[in-house]
Amino acid sequence: MAIGAAVVALAPLAGVVWAAMQPGMADIAAKDIARYAVTSGVLALGVAATTAVVGSVAAWLTAMHRFPGRDVFAWALALPLAAPAFALAYAYAQLFDVAGPLRMWMRPSLGWDLPIQMRSVPGAIFVLTCAFYPYVFLAMRAAFLNQSVHPLEAARTLGCSAWQAFVQIALPLARPALAAGMALAVMETLADYGAVQFLSVQTLTTGVVRAWSVYGSPASAARFALPLLATAAVLLWLERWGRKGRSFESSHARYRPLQSEALTGWRAVAATGFCLILLTLALILPVGFLLMRSLEITPDWSRLLSAGGRSLIMGGLGAGATVILATLLALGAARLPVTARIASLGYATPGAVMAIGLLAPAAVLWRLSPGATSGIGVGVALLTYAYAARLMAAALEPIEAGFSKVTPAMIGAARSLGRSETGAALAIQLPIARGALLTAALIVFIDVLKELPATLILRPFDFDTLAVLASNYANDERLPQAGWPSLMIIVLALPGVIWLTRKIAASRPGAPR
Amino acid sequence: MKLRIVTLAAVALSALSLAACGQKEGSADKAGEAGVLNLYTARHYDADQKLYDLFAQKTGIDVKRIEGKPDELIARMKAEGANSPADVFIAADAGALWRAQDAGLFQAADSDRLNQTIPANLRAPDGQWFGFSRRARVVAYDPAKVKPEEIDDYAKLATPRFKGKLCVRSGDNVYNLSLVGALIEAWGPERAQQWVEGVVANLARPPEGGDRDQIRAVAAGVCEVALTNSYYFIRMASGDDAGDRQIAQKLTLGFPSLDGQGSHVNISGGGLAAHAPNRENAVKFLEFLASPEAQAIVTQSNFEFPAVADAAPAEAVAPYAGFKANPMSVARYGVLQAQAQSMISAAGWR
Repeated sequence: MAIGAAVVALAPLAGVVWAAMQPGMADIAAKDIARYAVTSGVLALGVAATTAVVGSVAAWLTAMHRFPGRDVFAWALALPLAAPAFALAYAYAQLFDVAGPLRMWMRPSLGWDLPIQMRSVPGAIFVLTCAFYPYVFLAMRAAFLNQSVHPLEAARTLGCSAWQAFVQIALPLARPALAAGMALAVMETLADYGAVQFLSVQTLTTGVVRAWSVYGSPASAARFALPLLATAAVLLWLERWGRKGRSFESSHARYRPLQSEALTGWRAVAATGFCLILLTLALILPVGFLLMRSLEITPDWSRLLSAGGRSLIMGGLGAGATVILATLLALGAARLPVTARIASLGYATPGAVMAIGLLAPAAVLWRLSPGATSGIGVGVALLTYAYAARLMAAALEPIEAGFSKVTPAMIGAARSLGRSETGAALAIQLPIARGALLTAALIVFIDVLKELPATLILRPFDFDTLAVLASNYANDERLPQAGWPSLMIIVLALPGVIWLTRKIAASRPGAPR
Repeated sequence: MKLRIVTLAAVALSALSLAACGQKEGSADKAGEAGVLNLYTARHYDADQKLYDLFAQKTGIDVKRIEGKPDELIARMKAEGANSPADVFIAADAGALWRAQDAGLFQAADSDRLNQTIPANLRAPDGQWFGFSRRARVVAYDPAKVKPEEIDDYAKLATPRFKGKLCVRSGDNVYNLSLVGALIEAWGPERAQQWVEGVVANLARPPEGGDRDQIRAVAAGVCEVALTNSYYFIRMASGDDAGDRQIAQKLTLGFPSLDGQGSHVNISGGGLAAHAPNRENAVKFLEFLASPEAQAIVTQSNFEFPAVADAAPAEAVAPYAGFKANPMSVARYGVLQAQAQSMISAAGWR
């Protein structure tokens, strides 16, 4: 069954490779390709660096200190996960546009213009950092919360100050988590299309779509995608290496509550200020601006609500299918670990590339079953498949972590009591990993709500999701109308994100549930 | 544990039933009273909903549509092959229509009505697709800084007069590709290449945003002239946004000429899909798009110019509708698109 699940996840990637081998090379200048690659690289590095700094500082402040507002910031700082990156791009591009309301007002009134160019690589780094720093924040927060107090206390007794203990003990111990969080942020950055395209930044991903759309050459597009797949493989390896670091937590020690240090005076102000500014920039400002602009017009409610319904359905189906497949993979991972790795490659694949890869198996399906093409069932099934292939990595990680709590001894006990292998899985592993399964389902649900390119291509008739609606409006330069579906996505994703972050706060062994 | 098995079973059952639904829907094509029409449209204007509603009202045919970017739709139709349920493919640019034609996705719609009402230069010679609305790619300029005679020809946009004063969107955009294609057709590749290089030298900033962003940039003083599709300007002038209306009042929409023969015109149009399951409904829909009511909606709601010669343009559009339109056949743009793209790429027009 695990092999079956892996095959399902691999098929689109095989489709991409197959497409790359087809004849037909577009006449794209080599210097253009080099330029895309460099831009992608600069973007990825920029986002990696800024998310690392921002996410780590935020995690360190909220996990290890007490200051005004900390209890709220502890979960609120992860809320930007509920906002699709393209929504942030729309908001900031409008807000800081040279001919936008703010600067048109500033120039005559203040006599000074902001030297900000949002539609540029630095602008994109800023927007994507706002969108993706929560990955680092959550990973580091989990690492800090889960760390044992012993090394820290030992360091303090040996004369380290709190800062030295942080830099020399806590940070290196948390380094694998940092790598994992950064890898996720970079994967999302490479795969992003909506935000980057809107900000006129030309990356390998936009190159893929350009080769496909302007030159009509899926083969060239697929060839552009291959370096992205290779980078994804490297990043995934990095992320797995990050996860391995967890295992040297002592599993049999007594757990004592983590001492958090109370901040006073200017330190407290600085901490609260930092968190507040971060949250404002990443969420409150862009969402507020979108809201302000959206309230200027009345939306098409029927279209909005039906898109909302469709988004929810796809979210649910996608979460269900992905979790089931990932569970099967994780259960079989002990014997075939490589299948899990390969299946996770989809995460760093741009959606448009995934869609190219999926058009091949879709074509097989369409040709085999005349009359089924127009059916909503087949379209939805294809989309669900695309989501599962794309988001396998996101689901595998928490599920594998959940299963890791099950020791071989437990399974051995179940087998010796007469259960078959499947029976042991159902009776022991699934219930223990219940929380992890729910976490995985929520993560996939939120990602599906925000997904755009694969949905655009594979969806059946009259089946717009909120992301599709927002993108169509934005591409037609109807930005106030694009605000409504974007805001709805955020509203629908918020409960899940809040639940997830509160769960992480309570994940310390021995902490009250 | 039981709950989990039940959940798994429920998911499996629902997936199966959805697939079964799919089969039933596929075979029951007579969903509406008079049938159904499957539309693949790359037009993304809200106004089109009125068109579909009016058509459904008049004929009882249920219009099911899927919207997307033209290339995604073309790729999907190619993958679907002979089983494609598409009846009609509509795109907002002649180049996209040509690409679909080149991929064998259209069939000739033998309709005398269409051949008579749509002018020959706005449709494919063999009836595979037809233009239903026109838009001109022209300039918006600041009359305080630019005199009308300085931009009465496309060639003048590439002259040093406008160095650092021109705003235009990305060279990848299909509207620019079609414009350059038209220039290649009229002037030949060498002169067209020089023009493209001249434009790149005149850019006030690296291309960013859409056509309306370029218009706003002119109003903000970043540049003096912007290349834009006509309907964006007209939409700003008569739209809901007060800021946009102010901008449109301050600026002027100019109609440069190509070799003295008129401004570059592009079409929104569509054609009958090669394997259309509902062929009759499809032809009815295409003929409906050429009817006076549909032409009125198209001009009123999206501020485009009608394709049919005697259709009356809407109020907002009327002041501009008398412009001189270049008689070049729009079918040429698609053929020259790849060449235009290479030229644009080589000149560094991002």
